[in-house]
Amino acid sequence: MTTPEMIHRSEAAVSVELQTPDMTLNLGPQHPSTHGVLRLIAKVDGERVRDVEPVIGYMHRGYEKLSEVRTYAQITALVNRIDWVSGFANEVPFILGVERLTGIEAPPRAQYIRMILTELARISSHLVFISSYPLELGATTPLMHALREREYVLELIEEVTGGRFHPNFNRVGGIKPNYGGGSTTKKQSMDLPAGFFQRASEAMDRMDKICDDIDQLVTGNELIKMRTVDVGVIPAAKALEYGLTGPNLRASGVAYDLRKIENYLPYDDIDFDIAVREGGDCFDRYMVRLQEIRQSARIVRQAIEKIPTGPLQAKVPRVLKVPKGQVYSRAENPKGEFGYYIVSEGGKMPYRLKIRSTSFSNLTILPWVLKDELIPDLVAIMGSLDFVLGDVDR
Amino acid sequence: MSDQPESAVSTDAEAPEAVPLEAYASELADRLGAEGFTVEFDTVRIHVSPDRWVETINAAREDLELFSWLSAIDWSKEVEVGDPVDDVDALEERFEVLCRLSSVENADGAIFVATLPRDEPSIASLVPTIAGAEWHEREAHEMFGIDFEGNTNLAPLYLPDDFIGNPLLKSYPLISREVKPWPGDVDVESIPEPDEEPGDES
Repeated sequence: MTTPEMIHRSEAAVSVELQTPDMTLNLGPQHPSTHGVLRLIAKVDGERVRDVEPVIGYMHRGYEKLSEVRTYAQITALVNRIDWVSGFANEVPFILGVERLTGIEAPPRAQYIRMILTELARISSHLVFISSYPLELGATTPLMHALREREYVLELIEEVTGGRFHPNFNRVGGIKPNYGGGSTTKKQSMDLPAGFFQRASEAMDRMDKICDDIDQLVTGNELIKMRTVDVGVIPAAKALEYGLTGPNLRASGVAYDLRKIENYLPYDDIDFDIAVREGGDCFDRYMVRLQEIRQSARIVRQAIEKIPTGPLQAKVPRVLKVPKGQVYSRAENPKGEFGYYIVSEGGKMPYRLKIRSTSFSNLTILPWVLKDELIPDLVAIMGSLDFVLGDVDR
Repeated sequence: MSDQPESAVSTDAEAPEAVPLEAYASELADRLGAEGFTVEFDTVRIHVSPDRWVETINAAREDLELFSWLSAIDWSKEVEVGDPVDDVDALEERFEVLCRLSSVENADGAIFVATLPRDEPSIASLVPTIAGAEWHEREAHEMFGIDFEGNTNLAPLYLPDDFIGNPLLKSYPLISREVKPWPGDVDVESIPEPDEEPGDES
């Protein structure tokens, strides 16, 4: 064989298109990046994902059916467990919905405490994201830092509500009196634990500090940027079509935040900004959440300054009589719009309760956004959507 | 606690903001050519005829851009678990399919409602125009047995493939309640009767 002939042959062998027929790749149901049990059936062509079919329902607990056989007061214990990373934030829209139906309004102090705890839940949920997302991309250190700081927030939630994850703290017309404070019928309802505001404002300083640390560790990290910038881009129109809300939508340039547009809890009294970014990629989704931790810390600090004194519980009849009617009540959960459609027929229990859970809608875009992406990006994109399977499956 | 008449409480809830919302709902219903509207507890419902379902919702998406959710209600006389409807004899048995759209600029939003017969309920699918509706329709299909014409993938979403029945139908029993009626033994205090008032509160 002459030399030119050899060169020709070797070039032909290199430039030949490798045949990579469709292969089915199964991920899960147990996979660390799924925050629960989610199975993905991916059709892959070489390193490209051609089609993804998510399989959900492994954690379906039937909360909508169970709610039809529980009184309104009992349902708060259930809805806590939908998105267990931010249990408090799930209770709020439900209890606001029942309050709208019954016409009972919680006293201002109770509303402020609800707002503070919602923001603490938001910080805690975002810190879980901030810790686990770099882990999914291969960085283990941020996990230790962010989860350590999250303990300070969980301790605050625990000292007020008695529970780290499942506070079950909201009552129709107010909040539960401090544990150890006796039943809700006692005249002198207990207040927050002594020194809570001091500890909360110290913890908020820590949050600013951890955001700066994470900025140094993660945000400027070149490897993280290579894995996330321009990966998994979701344009605003697609995000709206798939019902994305929360940081996932705000990262695509839509400033949709129910804390600003929906009239609930005293957010009007507070000065804060909506974190918005234009790109819609994984990095933007990460940045929006990091910004929101700072904003939530800002909200908590202002709320501590402005909180009025007064009772924690409005006058509520012992047996709650909910009039006939239908109400859709929604609030800004750490992951987006969380809503309850309550159909009351005047009984002790709702006739139907539709739970609009955030992660379920946020996850519906998965087949679209993963199509034609690389296999290593699959985990990066999935993680950036920040879902919890309990919230998907209900 | 002073005796507060409950009827007064419930009317108070509807009084504020009712007027501007009603004007909004009536304008929206007129513009979309809908059958009518209901406003209660700050919630706007627009009633749509089932054969204009897709058309109406797509027209509404011009200013209500966010597809929020889709679900259904089973209005049934046969209730296995939970409370029946207020007036069982007057109830017209039907399904209601609901779809919520929201504005991202302000608090505007509406729930579109189409009424379907209880036997062989079927409605056109939103999936060709709103891809995000697919999972919501699959859920409504398995939970209520509603057929969405044009949705090619109505496989069970939550339930196992061999599951029989539609769990969110009012006639579908809840097995845990069959085994152990409510309230169970763990309840230390039974639910008080409605006319009972606490004494030591005022």
